[in-house]
Amino acid sequence: MDYLQKFTSQIRNRLFLLLLINNVLIVADWYVVDRVVKLTGWWSLIALLAVPVLTFSILPWLSTRALVQPTKLIWQAILHLAPATANSVAAPKAEQTHIGRELVANLVSQLYQLASVVDEVERTSQKSSQDLHTNFLASALPLPFIVLDKNESIVFVNDLACHYIKRESSDLIGQNIYTMLDMSFASNKTFESWLSDAKQNSVTADQAWERVRLGLADEQNTLQFDLAAHYNKGNTLGYETVLVLFDHTEQYSQDDQAVSFVALAVHELRTPLTLLRGYIEVFDEELGDKLTPELKAFMGKMNAAAESLASFVDNILNVAKIEDNQLTLQLHEEAWPSIVDNVVQDMSLRAGVRGIALKTEIAKDLPPVGVDRYSIYEVLANLIDNAIKYSRDTKEIFITTKLNDNGLVETSVKDFGLGIETSILPHIFDKFYRNHRNRSQIGGTGLGLYLSKSIIDAHGGQIWVNSKVDEGSTFTFTVQPFSSLAAEQKNSDNGDITRGAHGWIKNHSLYRG
Amino acid sequence: MEPINNTQGTGKKVLCIEDEHFISELYTRALTKAGYAVDVQMDGQLGLASAQSDKYDIILLDLMIPTITGIEVLRTLRDTAKTPKLHAKIIITTNLEQRDEVKTDIEKQADGYLVKAEITPRELVEFLSHLEA
Repeated sequence: MDYLQKFTSQIRNRLFLLLLINNVLIVADWYVVDRVVKLTGWWSLIALLAVPVLTFSILPWLSTRALVQPTKLIWQAILHLAPATANSVAAPKAEQTHIGRELVANLVSQLYQLASVVDEVERTSQKSSQDLHTNFLASALPLPFIVLDKNESIVFVNDLACHYIKRESSDLIGQNIYTMLDMSFASNKTFESWLSDAKQNSVTADQAWERVRLGLADEQNTLQFDLAAHYNKGNTLGYETVLVLFDHTEQYSQDDQAVSFVALAVHELRTPLTLLRGYIEVFDEELGDKLTPELKAFMGKMNAAAESLASFVDNILNVAKIEDNQLTLQLHEEAWPSIVDNVVQDMSLRAGVRGIALKTEIAKDLPPVGVDRYSIYEVLANLIDNAIKYSRDTKEIFITTKLNDNGLVETSVKDFGLGIETSILPHIFDKFYRNHRNRSQIGGTGLGLYLSKSIIDAHGGQIWVNSKVDEGSTFTFTVQPFSSLAAEQKNSDNGDITRGAHGWIKNHSLYRG
Repeated sequence: MEPINNTQGTGKKVLCIEDEHFISELYTRALTKAGYAVDVQMDGQLGLASAQSDKYDIILLDLMIPTITGIEVLRTLRDTAKTPKLHAKIIITTNLEQRDEVKTDIEKQADGYLVKAEITPRELVEFLSHLEA
C-alpha cells in the first residue's frame, strides 16, 4: 500500500505542478501582454488566449506518457507471462518509468510470483493426471484396467483389476502380461497377434474381443469377458497399451452350460438312434425288393429322418467338443470331388424326401485339398441340410465347386428358398443364432452354421453368405489346396496336420500346446 | 452300398463284448450274414475270460460294460504278464466321446476305434473286411 500511496502522491504532485505551471504561464502571459507590450484590441485577445491554448494542448500530451508508463509496464509483464504472447514480448524493466517505479516493480514481481504458482499447479495437476497411480479416474474406474509399457510389462493395474483377477498389484507390476494373464481367444486373432501387428504398423490402434477366457491361478475358476485395448506408440510416460476388461463370466458360462447340458441330454439319444438306424438297415436289406413303391418310399423317409436326427446329434456333440477345446482335426490330402460327391449322395436321401434335386457342378482339375474328411463332410452336409430346410417349395439346390482367383478351392451351396434378412446376416454364424421369423416353422438348433464356421476357420478357410429375401441364399466356403499346407506338414511328426477346431486359441506361444 | 453277398463263411471268429442286447443282435446278424462266427459276452469279466482263450480273430470291445470296464479289459489283454499275446485284433466300440489324449492312449493299445453312433452294422462289416486286408 505504501507504494500505491507514493504513486498517488507522485501523480498528485505532478498534476499540481502541471496546473501551477499552467496558471503561472497564464498570469505571466497576461502580465507581458497587458503591462510590458501593452497590446490592445484583437491582438491582446489573441495573445492572451495563445498561451492557455498552447499549454492545454502540449502539457497533457507531454504528461500522458509519464502517467501511462506504469500501466504500460504492468501490461507488458502480463503479456510476457501469457502463454500466447510470452515469446514475442520482453520482460518489463521498472527503471523505464519515473512515476511509480516502486509500485511497478512490486506489482510486476507479484505477477511473476502468481505466474509461477499457476505453473506449479499446472505441473502438479498434469503430473497427477498422467501418473496413473495417483489418478483418481484410473483407480476409481469401475472396470478392470491394465496398462502395459513397450515391453509388454504391466506398469499399472487398478484396484478392480487386481480384485477381478485375484492378484495383488505388487505381484503384477513389472511382470510380463502373457505370463500373468493366460488369456484364450475365440479365434486366432489374439491380443498378442493384434499388438505385435499394431507395433509394426500403427501409431495408435484400437481393438475389441468378445468371449476372452482367462484361467485364474487357482485353476478352478475361469473368467470370461470382452476385452478392449488401445495402443499408443511411444507414449512419453511409457503407457503404451491399455486394456479394459468387461466381465461377462456369468452370461457366457450360462451359454456354455446350455451347450453342455444339451450335449449331455443329446448323448442319451445316440444308442437308441444307432439301433433305429441299424434296424432300418436290416429292413432295407431283407425287404428292399419285396416292398411296394409306396412302402419303399416310407422306408426312405424313415431312413432320412433317422439320418437327419443323427446329424443333429453329431452337431450338438461337436459344438460341445469345440467349446471344450476337444475337437481336433487331422488334415490329410484328399480329392475334393469325391468328398463332395459323397456328401451329396448321402444328402440326396433327405432332399429326395422333399422332392428337391441336388445338382452338382464340379470344376475339372481341382488340386487335392488339405482337409479333415469327417469335419468337412459335416460342413457341407450342414449347408445342404440348411438349404433343404429353407428351400420352401423350390425344387433345386446347386452345389458348385471351383478353384478361385486366390488359388483356394471354393464351394457354394445355393438354394432358391426363403433367403435371409439383411439385419440378420451379420449374426448368421453366431452360436444359437437363427432366423427368428422362422424359428417356429423350421427345426434346428442354430448351431450348424456356428459349427461350420469353427471347422472352416480351423482349416484356414473362409465361409460367407449372400442372400436375398424370397430369392434364396448362397453359402460359400474355401479350403486350401494340400500343396499350400505342405510346408506346415514338414514340421509335423506323423505327416498329418493337426489343428484345434478354433475353440480357444491360447494367447501366447508360451502356452501354445 | 453294395449288398453283402458273402454267405460262404469267412471262417473268422468274432467275439462281441457288448451289454446292449439290441446292438449285439444287430452286429451278430450282420456279421453272421457276412460269414463270421460270432460269440457275444454281456459283461467285462466274461468277456475277458473268453478273449483270453485266444479262439478269436476279432474282438469287438465296448468300453461301457458291467463288472470290468472295457478299458481295463483292454489293458489286461495287452499286458503280457497277464495274457499271452493274442492273435486277435481288438476293435473298440463305444458311444462315449473320449478326450483326445484318452482316445490316443486307447488307439495305441487297440487295433481300431469305432463310435457306434457313427456306423451302421453294414459299415461295421465293411470296416472289418478292410481290417483283414
